[in-house]
Amino acid sequence: MDFELPEEYRMLEELVANFVADHLLPLEPEVLAREAVGVGAYITAEEREALDATSRELGLWGLDAPESMGGMDLPAIALVAVNEHVGKSMVPYVLPPDSPNLRMLDATVNDEQRSRYLEPYVRGETVSAIAISEPGAGSDPAAMKTSAVLRGDEWVLNGRKIWISKADIADHFITMAVTDKAQGARGGISAFLVDSDTPGLSVARKIPMLGGNATYELELSDCRLPASALLGEEGKGFAPMQLRLSTRRLEMATWCIGIAQRALDMLVEYAPQRETFGSALSDKQTVQNWIAEAETDIHAARLMAWHTAWKLDRGDSVRREISMLKAHATEMAWRIVDRSMQGFGAMGMTKELPLQQMANEVRLMRIYDGPTEIHKWVVARDILRG
Amino acid sequence: MKVLVAVKRVVDYNVKVRAKADGSDVDLNNVKMAINPFCEIAVEEAVRLKEAGTATEVVAVSIGDKACQEQIRTALALGADRGIQVETEGAVEPLVVAKLLKGVIEKEQPQLVILGKQSIDGDNNQTGQMLGALTNMAQGTFASEVAIDGDKVNVTREVDGGLQTVSLNLPAIVTTDLRLNEPRYASLPNIMKAKKKPLDVHTPADLGVEPKAHLTTLKVEPPAERQAGIMVESVEQLVDKLKNEAKVIS
Ligand SMILES: Cc1cc2nc3c(=O)[nH]c(=O)nc-3n(C[C@H](O)[C@H](O)[C@H](O)COP(=O)(O)OP(=O)(O)OC[C@H]3O[C@@H](n4cnc5c(N)ncnc54)[C@H](O)[C@@H]3O)c2cc1C
Repeated sequence: MDFELPEEYRMLEELVANFVADHLLPLEPEVLAREAVGVGAYITAEEREALDATSRELGLWGLDAPESMGGMDLPAIALVAVNEHVGKSMVPYVLPPDSPNLRMLDATVNDEQRSRYLEPYVRGETVSAIAISEPGAGSDPAAMKTSAVLRGDEWVLNGRKIWISKADIADHFITMAVTDKAQGARGGISAFLVDSDTPGLSVARKIPMLGGNATYELELSDCRLPASALLGEEGKGFAPMQLRLSTRRLEMATWCIGIAQRALDMLVEYAPQRETFGSALSDKQTVQNWIAEAETDIHAARLMAWHTAWKLDRGDSVRREISMLKAHATEMAWRIVDRSMQGFGAMGMTKELPLQQMANEVRLMRIYDGPTEIHKWVVARDILRG
Repeated sequence: MKVLVAVKRVVDYNVKVRAKADGSDVDLNNVKMAINPFCEIAVEEAVRLKEAGTATEVVAVSIGDKACQEQIRTALALGADRGIQVETEGAVEPLVVAKLLKGVIEKEQPQLVILGKQSIDGDNNQTGQMLGALTNMAQGTFASEVAIDGDKVNVTREVDGGLQTVSLNLPAIVTTDLRLNEPRYASLPNIMKAKKKPLDVHTPADLGVEPKAHLTTLKVEPPAERQAGIMVESVEQLVDKLKNEAKVIS
């Protein structure tokens, strides 16, 4: 058994760590300040362009995109450390193009869709969003009601989608809809490529969320799509959607590892400097327990992430591993950030330190892409079924 | 023109080093290692010479155990064409390094050799100068600018109180100072390319050198801890303390 990453992936990790330190973290105080005055934790178009240019120059573009499209086609194992570093910063920037939709599209597009949707996406020319959740179907997406009916050579979509990220800037939505009610998740749900300017599709409202984030509600009202908008096979949208979710969950887990590591590093730096009752905070057993437990939790999560990525790269099923990892990583990060905030006292509550924003981000991650309880349920069900 | 650059594996400059409990050495257990920053500047300078069309080949050499291949690989990812490792065990002192480098120079016949002015672990600042003496090559140390001019190289040196420019006949040795350049990052495509670049391993015997130690480290201990500062109430109090306690003014 070899726990060491190949040399080139270690060098990649170093490169990304430098990118984060030199290009993302310097923007962070400004992002925190924007969030603090209530205008959202965003980066400007100019800032994004500059970051994109640097990512491109360093070859950090399309790390897991197919080589045929100019990507690096790196395995999941190479991305664990990469995303850990990217996750550390509270600047809302991921190395483009964002992987989950890339994976789903790559698994499903036909030739025409490849050149019309996937290639521009890989080149960074478009923003891709995904619309699964509905007011009545969150944790249980199989309960979705949005329908797609084939009329002549057109698909007609009707329904509501909610909590949709990036709806304000998306060029298209991968939209899940029921094509056969009787079959449900087993053959009755399909994926469609819906351009954001399609008549009948509208953003009903913006829903502000924790930490200067927002999601959106969408309305699909007699939204007509050409037959060619069907993504993948009719009725078989669920499996590639799960692939997409798995990619995101592994990514989120590694972001959480990065966030937890940063929270721990901050506490470790601060605790020896802060004196109370005549001795340093780091001399208190409680704080020492926090540190030891955090290190243990992070180490466990990291090993789980390596192992899950390794299995994924071998083509094995990672259903159980992904759920264990997603639940463990988000929950441990939540605990570690919370304790670090506790250790910093009132200072930990301020919007000048990134800790509260780290807490916000982790808080959201305990919900999206499947709440913790659902993932535990998946694991338990899998075990009990034998 | 062929350029030889020497690179050393050292503790990463971000790491707060600790002495081992028995005081025998710095504790390198679980510590992040990296290319010595001055060596990185040397690689960058060589690669820039190549990009400018002045150099035709850049060869990176490191002396150490197998682990130092990682730093050679970094140099290759930064743009060096091939690597040489001279395999040694344990710590090697500047004189031994200089002798081994001399052996490599005899094999490779570079026109220009660029080294860091010192490495941040031992801070000896000796290897480049010793190499100059052993090879009889001209040396320009503490370079903040390097300009090739026909069969000469003009080296601007950072000396006490200002800059000095010397003109050296090639082949020559240059050691780098901090302000010579700002090294680039190794981009991902170049990291991938580096994997395929050749890396040869030599033993000291191949180079006709016996790595004999002349130095023994007696003790390594951390610097004395700084006392916490105090806030003074007034300028008068400050002047009084500087005069009578610190005794730095009279
Ligand atoms: C920031 C953010 C971004 C999002 N972006 C998108 C997006 O881009 N596209 C998209 O389609 N969706 C998106 N979502 C929606 C997200 O996927 C859902 O919120 C999530 O799946 C949970 O669904 P729900 O909110 O309806 O919660 P519900 O399904 O109502 O569940 C509420 C709670 O009930 C508990 N619970 C439910 N079922 C069980 C059970 N079986 N056992 C035990 N406990 C249970 C859990 O604690 C759960 O948290 C986003 C959400 C957030 C917060």
